[in-house]
Amino acid sequence: MREFEEACARGVAERHIHGEVHLAIGQEAIGAALAGVLRDSDAMVSTHRNHLHAIAKGVPLHPMLAEIFERATGLCGGFGGHMHLFDPARRFSTTGIVGGSLPVALGHAYAARLRGDDAVAVAVVGDGSVNTGGFAESMNMAGAMKLPLVVVVENNEWAISVPFSQASATATIAERAAAFGARGVRVDGLDYERVREAFIDAVDSARAGGGPVIVEATCYRFRGHYEGDLDLYRDQGDKESRREQRDPLAMARAELLESGAADEPELARIDEEVRAEIGGLVQRVLADPFPDPETARRHVFASGLDLPAGV
Amino acid sequence: MDAIRQNINVSQAVAEGLRLEMEADEHVLVIGEDVGRQGGVFGSTRGLQKAFGAERVLDTPISEMAFTGMAVGLAMEGYRPVVEIMFADFIGVCLEQVFNAIAKNPYMSGGATPMPIVIKTAGGAIGSAAQHSQTLWGLYAHLPGLRVVAPSSPHDSKGMMAAAVQSPDPVVFIEHKGLLLKKASSFSHGTDVPRERYTVPLDRAHVVREGRDVTIATLSASVGDALDAAEALALDGIDVEVLDLRSVVPLDWDGITASLRKTRRLLVVDEDYLGFGLSGELITGAIERLGLDGLDSVSRHGLANVPVPASKTLEQAVLPSAASIARAVRESGAGR
Repeated sequence: MREFEEACARGVAERHIHGEVHLAIGQEAIGAALAGVLRDSDAMVSTHRNHLHAIAKGVPLHPMLAEIFERATGLCGGFGGHMHLFDPARRFSTTGIVGGSLPVALGHAYAARLRGDDAVAVAVVGDGSVNTGGFAESMNMAGAMKLPLVVVVENNEWAISVPFSQASATATIAERAAAFGARGVRVDGLDYERVREAFIDAVDSARAGGGPVIVEATCYRFRGHYEGDLDLYRDQGDKESRREQRDPLAMARAELLESGAADEPELARIDEEVRAEIGGLVQRVLADPFPDPETARRHVFASGLDLPAGV
Repeated sequence: MDAIRQNINVSQAVAEGLRLEMEADEHVLVIGEDVGRQGGVFGSTRGLQKAFGAERVLDTPISEMAFTGMAVGLAMEGYRPVVEIMFADFIGVCLEQVFNAIAKNPYMSGGATPMPIVIKTAGGAIGSAAQHSQTLWGLYAHLPGLRVVAPSSPHDSKGMMAAAVQSPDPVVFIEHKGLLLKKASSFSHGTDVPRERYTVPLDRAHVVREGRDVTIATLSASVGDALDAAEALALDGIDVEVLDLRSVVPLDWDGITASLRKTRRLLVVDEDYLGFGLSGELITGAIERLGLDGLDSVSRHGLANVPVPASKTLEQAVLPSAASIARAVRESGAGR
């Protein structure tokens, strides 16, 4: 995940990507904790900061990186870009609008109810989204209807430049769950094991008919809101110390070594393999074609309706 | 098909269209405020919950953002939701889901994620003042990715609702509050509503009255007013063609230009706001297609760019009516 996102950061710096890119470097423990838990029949709806969630849902890396690099071979043929990833086969989608993913996940949850199966819907959102009307409306409906909705809130403390402490009437997001007839749990989002435990528990509960759950995972984004954001609104000393002391990757590494689950040579070998894989992926994507400009009007209507240009 | 005269009102025609589509396809469902128990505040979903159950005809809380977005997730799961936004004016609270998700997901996904959703809503001025009297088809039409239709008769209301439900595209279906409770027998066009399932194409204008001198291009409740105006003008020897556009997106340019080649005069009558809307689009598009020399006159008559006022005298002052349409035709120079 880290390597994938660093490739995206380089893609912006080297101008292979001309749109904005939002990275979740520093939040990998949450992304990793979500990986492998859901079935293809479960839905996940993510946000503008979505790469790790897509990886966790099993979206294949090549079409995903190609979409981020705006190529014709991308997941959406280059029509969506990094903020708008759609993988219908895996029931994965995103929105670039803060809070916009919650109502959509609600629809997936209701589809499970209509079919009478035990699929769950997961909305992954940031702390900024919990202050939108859509969050309150969706949580209330999910609670009233006892729908299988799991909301994972990545509370990285910042909605662009506005701190959560200044934006929220409640000290935590998890405590809001009670108002919606939902369960709420707050976990350390830097701790892979804790997040995974909480997430599996939430999914199991929703799947069993227990109604909606909010999992608030606390974290911190190491990069600015988007690549190129000067990030002057945060205390630089605090940011540096968090990057040095509270890097979930370094913490996980130390834990693996300490517990004896892995040794240095093994981790170095894995690092090398990942670097080679992502490096190869980037080379492949860079060789992929851009979309044909002639096709820019395609897909406006699924029916193929094509309005004359200009009208 | 043998047309059977059912003297039902427009809302019953809409409900009948929905019922037949729900019978034909179990993936069709209706979501909105008061659509179930009450059958819609105008009755256009009446009987559906009884027929199909409370899960397929879902009474929601007053949470348009949530239930409109819910339709997005449902569409991704293979359902065909019909979402009712009770009054067109209320779209503001959920427009985000309408234009950022419903209208754009098919495009952003490179065609992988169709959104076969009907946004069913009621527009039109019936004395309910500024927050409950807009039509707003120009607003919806401005957003790429949405089909926008507004039927004018009981026949079209049933058939166009059926076509909207069957369409793979999102369709904004705008009823007119002033028409919904009118019985078929009180219309002068489109009064035959067959009992069986049928569709009316979503992209064909309809020549409701043939004429030589001027084309009135309009839609929804203004079609009836234009027909009344045409009757009055006929006494003065002005032969008016009334074109019911039916659809704002797409505009049926073949039908429009065929009429204009005959009459060479265009008057757009629009109950929506005049500025930056249907009338400007239609007139510009007509000139683009026929050239400045292809037309003898173009003009427009519609809702002055003010919110709709409450008092009857004020409302009548800003809305098109049969009398004001007749006046606008005379001022356009037709019949000179």
